[in-house]
Amino acid sequence: MDQLWGNLWYVGGFAVAGTLFVFGTIGLAWLISHRTRGDEHKGYPYESGIDTFGDSHARFGISFYIYALMFVAFDVEIVFIFLWALIFSAATDPLVPFVSMLIFVAVLMLGLAYAWRKGVLSWR
Amino acid sequence: MTAITRSLGNVSTVGKVVIPLLVLILVVGPLVTVLLATVIGPWVVGVANSNLGILRFVVAITGILLFSIPAAFIIIYMELKVIAYMNLRVGPNRVLPAGAAHSVIAGLKVLTKEDFSPTSADKTVFTWAPVMVFLTAVMTFMVIPFGPGLVGAPLNIGLLYLFAVGGMTVVGLLLAGWSSFNKYSLLGGLRSAAQVVSYEIPLTLSVVGLILLAGTLSIDSIARQQAGWVWDWFVFRQPLGALIFFIAGVAEANRTPFDLTEADSEIVAGFATEYSGMRFGFLFFAEYVNVFIMSALIVTMFFGAWNAPVDINAVLGFFHLAPFWVYLQPGELGLGLLLVIAVAPLLVTLALSAPVYLLRDSMPAWKALVVGFILFNLLVIGALGLAAYIDWDWVAGLVWFMLKAFIFVFVFVWMRGTFPRVRIDQLMGFAWKWLLPAALLNLFITAFAIVILKSAGIH
Repeated sequence: MDQLWGNLWYVGGFAVAGTLFVFGTIGLAWLISHRTRGDEHKGYPYESGIDTFGDSHARFGISFYIYALMFVAFDVEIVFIFLWALIFSAATDPLVPFVSMLIFVAVLMLGLAYAWRKGVLSWR
Repeated sequence: MTAITRSLGNVSTVGKVVIPLLVLILVVGPLVTVLLATVIGPWVVGVANSNLGILRFVVAITGILLFSIPAAFIIIYMELKVIAYMNLRVGPNRVLPAGAAHSVIAGLKVLTKEDFSPTSADKTVFTWAPVMVFLTAVMTFMVIPFGPGLVGAPLNIGLLYLFAVGGMTVVGLLLAGWSSFNKYSLLGGLRSAAQVVSYEIPLTLSVVGLILLAGTLSIDSIARQQAGWVWDWFVFRQPLGALIFFIAGVAEANRTPFDLTEADSEIVAGFATEYSGMRFGFLFFAEYVNVFIMSALIVTMFFGAWNAPVDINAVLGFFHLAPFWVYLQPGELGLGLLLVIAVAPLLVTLALSAPVYLLRDSMPAWKALVVGFILFNLLVIGALGLAAYIDWDWVAGLVWFMLKAFIFVFVFVWMRGTFPRVRIDQLMGFAWKWLLPAALLNLFITAFAIVILKSAGIH
C-alpha cells in the first residue's frame, strides 16, 4: 500500500508541473508578442475569407455519437480483459480461464456482429 | 594614490571595464568558493538528503520537460529534411550548416507571434484545450523507461495508466474543436475524437497478448524481460500484436496516412484552425512529442526497450573472457597514475599532430599542434563515452533506447513522405472490421499457445 501511494503522487505532481510549464510559456509569449486590435472582422470565425453565416456550431452526423457509444462499451470490456490477462499465466489450470474468456469475448463479438449487420460500422 | 589614478587613466576603455572585473573576480571568487565549501555546500547536501523523494521528483519532471523540447525540434527538423530529400528537394539550408537550427528558429517565431482568440470563442476552454493535449504527452512520459532506472515513476500498473492517460487526448481535441466556435474546428475535433476513440480499442487489445506472456502490467518489468539476444524481444513472440499496435499507434498520434484530423484539403487545419501563437505552438509541440512517445512505446513493448540486440555477457562467456575493464584498476597504478595524467596528454597530442604536420606542406607547426590537441580531446571524449557505456548500464540503455526510438521516428516521417491520406470511411471501417477482430484473434492465439505449452509441461 505504501509502495502504491509512494509512486502515485507523481501523477498529480506531473499534472501540476506540466500545467505550470504550459501556462508559463504562454505567459512568456504574451509578454514578448505584439498585439494589434484590428477591426471586428478579426474576431470572426475563419471561413476562407468571407463573413460567417448560420450557426457556427453546425449540425453533425449521428455516427460520431454511435462510435463514442461503442467505444465506451468496448473500453469497459478491455479493463476486464486486462485483469484476466494478468492472472492467466498464474492459474494452475489455464483451460478454465481460457474457456471463460472465450465465452466473454463471444458475447462481445455478438454485439459487434449486430452493429456490423445494422450497418453502424460503415461511415455515412 | 596618484600613481594608481594616472596609470588607470592611461588604459583604454575596454581595460577600464576589464581591470575592475578582474580584481572583483580575484577577490569574490575565492570567497564564494570558501563559502560554498564550508557553509552553503553542506547545507544544500543536507537539505537534499532529507528530501530525496522530492528531489527525485524535481529531477524527473525537469528532465522530461527539458527532453521533450529538443526531441520535438529534432523530429520537426527530421521531417523537413527527410521529406525534402524524398521529394528531391534540399529542404531547410539557411540557419547553421544544413539548416540544423531551422526548427528552433521556427519555434522562437511561434513564441513571438500574436496569441489571438476569436470574439465568440469560449476563452477559458479555448486556453485549456492545448494544456490538456500537452499534459497527456507529459504524463505519458512519466512511465516510459529510457534506461534501467531512468523512469519518472515505475508504476506497477504502468500499462493501465498509460492507456487511461492516453485517452485524455480525446478530451483535449474535443475541447479545442468545440470552444473555437468554428465549423471547421468543430468537424475536425469530432473527427479526431471518433478516430482516436476507434483506434484506442485495437491499441489497447493488442498488448493483451503481451500481458499474457509477461504476466505483469509494469512497463519496467516488461522491458527487463526482453534482455538478451534480438530474438528475446517480444516482437518475435507477438508479431501480429506488434503490427496492430504500430498501425493503431500511427492513428493515435494523428499521423499520415491517418491524419484526418488536420486534413488541410478538407477542413483547413481541423481543430487547430482558430489557434495562433503559443497556444497553437503547444498543440503542434504535443503532436511531435506524441510521435516520439509512440515510437518509444513500440520500442519498449516489442523491440527490446533499452536492451542491446547482442547479449554482451554471453559473447564474453563464449570466449572465456572477463570484461577487460575488470583488469583495469586505477587505484593500483600509484605513481603511474600521475604519469598518465601529466604526460599522456602531451605525448598523445604530439603524436597526433605529427602526421598532420608531416603530410601537409602548407601547415604551420602551431596549426598542426592545435589540430592534434582537438583530435586528442575528441579521443578522450570518445574513450570517456565508451567507459561510461561499459560501466553504467543506464548510459548503454539510453543509447540503445534513443537509437531504436529514433529509427521508429524515421519510419513515421518516412510514411508521411510516402503514403496518401485515407478516406474517413476507410479509416473507421479498418479499425472496427479488421484491427479489432485481428487483435482478439491475437489474444486467443497467445492464450491458446500458453494453454498448450502448460499442458505439455513446457513452461
